[in-house]
Amino acid sequence: MAKWGMVIDLDKCTGCQACTTACSMENNTLPGENWQDVLYYHEGEYPSAQMKWLPRPCMQCEEPSCVHVCPTRATYKDDEAGGIVFIDWNKCIGCKYCMIACPYGVRFYADEQPLVEPDLKAAFPGEDGQLWSPPYQGPQEDWSRGIGIQPKGVVSKCTFCHHKVSQAPAGTPDLDEDDPDLKEYVPACVRTCPPKARYFGDLDNPESNVNKLIGNKRGVRLKDETGNRPQVYYLGAGANIPAFQRRQRS
Amino acid sequence: MTDNNVMKGSAGTGLLVLSLLVMVAGFGYAAMNMAAHGHAAFNTDANVAWGQPISTYLYFALASSGLGLLAAVPLVFKVKEYYPVAKRCIFLAFIILISGMAVLAMELGHTFRMIWALPFGMQVQSAMFWMGVLYALDLLFLLWKFQRMEGRDWDSKTTLQIGIASFLGVLLASGNLALIFGMMSMRPFWFDPSLPIYFYLTGIASGMAALVFYTYLAYGFDRGKMPAALRQLMEGGLPKLFVTLLGITFLFIMVRMITGLYANAPEINLVWSDYILASPVYHISLWGGILLPFLLLLSPTLRVQPAVQVACAVLVFGGLFAERYFFVVGGQVIPLFKGTWAWDISQYAPSATEWSLTFMGAAMIFVLYVLGEKMFNLSDSPADTPSGASQPAGAKATA
Ligand code: SF4
Ligand code: SF4
Repeated sequence: MAKWGMVIDLDKCTGCQACTTACSMENNTLPGENWQDVLYYHEGEYPSAQMKWLPRPCMQCEEPSCVHVCPTRATYKDDEAGGIVFIDWNKCIGCKYCMIACPYGVRFYADEQPLVEPDLKAAFPGEDGQLWSPPYQGPQEDWSRGIGIQPKGVVSKCTFCHHKVSQAPAGTPDLDEDDPDLKEYVPACVRTCPPKARYFGDLDNPESNVNKLIGNKRGVRLKDETGNRPQVYYLGAGANIPAFQRRQRS
Repeated sequence: MTDNNVMKGSAGTGLLVLSLLVMVAGFGYAAMNMAAHGHAAFNTDANVAWGQPISTYLYFALASSGLGLLAAVPLVFKVKEYYPVAKRCIFLAFIILISGMAVLAMELGHTFRMIWALPFGMQVQSAMFWMGVLYALDLLFLLWKFQRMEGRDWDSKTTLQIGIASFLGVLLASGNLALIFGMMSMRPFWFDPSLPIYFYLTGIASGMAALVFYTYLAYGFDRGKMPAALRQLMEGGLPKLFVTLLGITFLFIMVRMITGLYANAPEINLVWSDYILASPVYHISLWGGILLPFLLLLSPTLRVQPAVQVACAVLVFGGLFAERYFFVVGGQVIPLFKGTWAWDISQYAPSATEWSLTFMGAAMIFVLYVLGEKMFNLSDSPADTPSGASQPAGAKATA
């Protein structure tokens, strides 16, 4: 079985948020509840001030602290599905311990005050157990893997577009959107990335492009000190996170 | 049976009705808002996921554990002077835990799902799983022990064994509760292997405040109405233990504060300097709710006065409630990996719905308490004569 990994080249990423938009379209997430987001950081001051940005999906950690803390096994790592960490919405009790334990802040309760107005939960009230029911919905739904529109009282997060990547022919080393035979299996954020800053492939396959990129271009994992060992790697300058600093809005 | 317990009379009934009203109103208001808006009725968000309902639960659970530990003083360690409060300790521990659980039940996304998902999941890696197991056991042991006391079985071998099991259960439950926070290395404000000790000590202080308050309440705040052995304890050993616990609690808070302020890491340092110590509420609670009662009880003349004892208990209620709140929220206010989307310390203040859950829980304690005082003799102790009449002051409690 593959072990899916993502590589994000920060030297190519323009911070355009196309990935974020594609993700929310693909997965019908509420505005602001971004399974995939681009984080911007300001660092330093004039004359050496810098701005950096990092796309941030769920890292699908090898040692996922979210899985360790989940009291019901609703959150689980599925090695049969490429090591993706899923949330079983039928089992989640909404204790939010996983949100406390994920160092990467990628989990969303969504059953909360709207992050962006107008409140789409009020505009499209939920039906059939859904938290909200927008007129367009992705055709895929699998609550045991946290795919589809989330119900009330549970946590959701990025699934590495399992509903797409699981359809790829077994043994495929890389899911490259430029390959017409494979493009339908590529995660939405990867497929849409205009400068091709994102790569997706099998970390267990020595021949995969993602492995070559990580090896040859010195891929790093963010917040490696947490020991979570992400399956998402970053290339290029700026793959680190400045310490939190208070900023007064002038 | 002649009894000076005012809760058995009309005063108790009045309090029962009042607290029942508050409880129903609190529940009704929260349930209504949550039915209309879901958890959007709370002010929690992706940064501060655990808000005041969780800190209220923590406050109650630890007060309960504190009472359980206090009960062990006579029941396990055989300090006979404390027999007169043993039964009330066990009872209060039980009802305060139940009330805490009621608040937690209103906070969770799917409370009833927990009943099957926890045992079927058997996720032994999760401290939250163990919280469920250990607090369920704790409740069971408290109930069993109480039932033994109702049967006036104070000293049989089985009673002692239940007492020891319950004592260990309390230690494990509250210690594990501490580890839910203390094991989170990605949350440096909480990450602390000695957190169980902090929880034990502050929990006993909390439990002691509850014991003092509710014991006095039972006798209309008139110590003269208490049975002799109980009166003697309230004049002698108990306030001394109370002041000692407050001293240790204050010391522990200071150590955490100084370590936090000294640390460079913003997740610890800024929480103390720019969040906790920047809050006037925290200052009032710490200096007025922990240090002031400590200083008052330090004076040998003041600490024996019923009014001072009750006032200190009430102050400590407030002080430790705030301590729990700032502990829980403080661990989350520095945004974790959010970039400039969250450009400052997270702002969180409980919503009216969250407050109503806190009131619901507190009122529930009063409801159950009055019922307990009415139905049982919570001041019972092996020293009591069967009639329950007071013994002459100075009589030594005997097992
Ligand atoms: S990034 Fe967070 S949610 Fe994703 S696997 Fe790692 S710990 Fe879990
Ligand atoms: S909120 Fe759900 S997925 Fe997260 S730890 Fe609790 S039960 Fe598990």
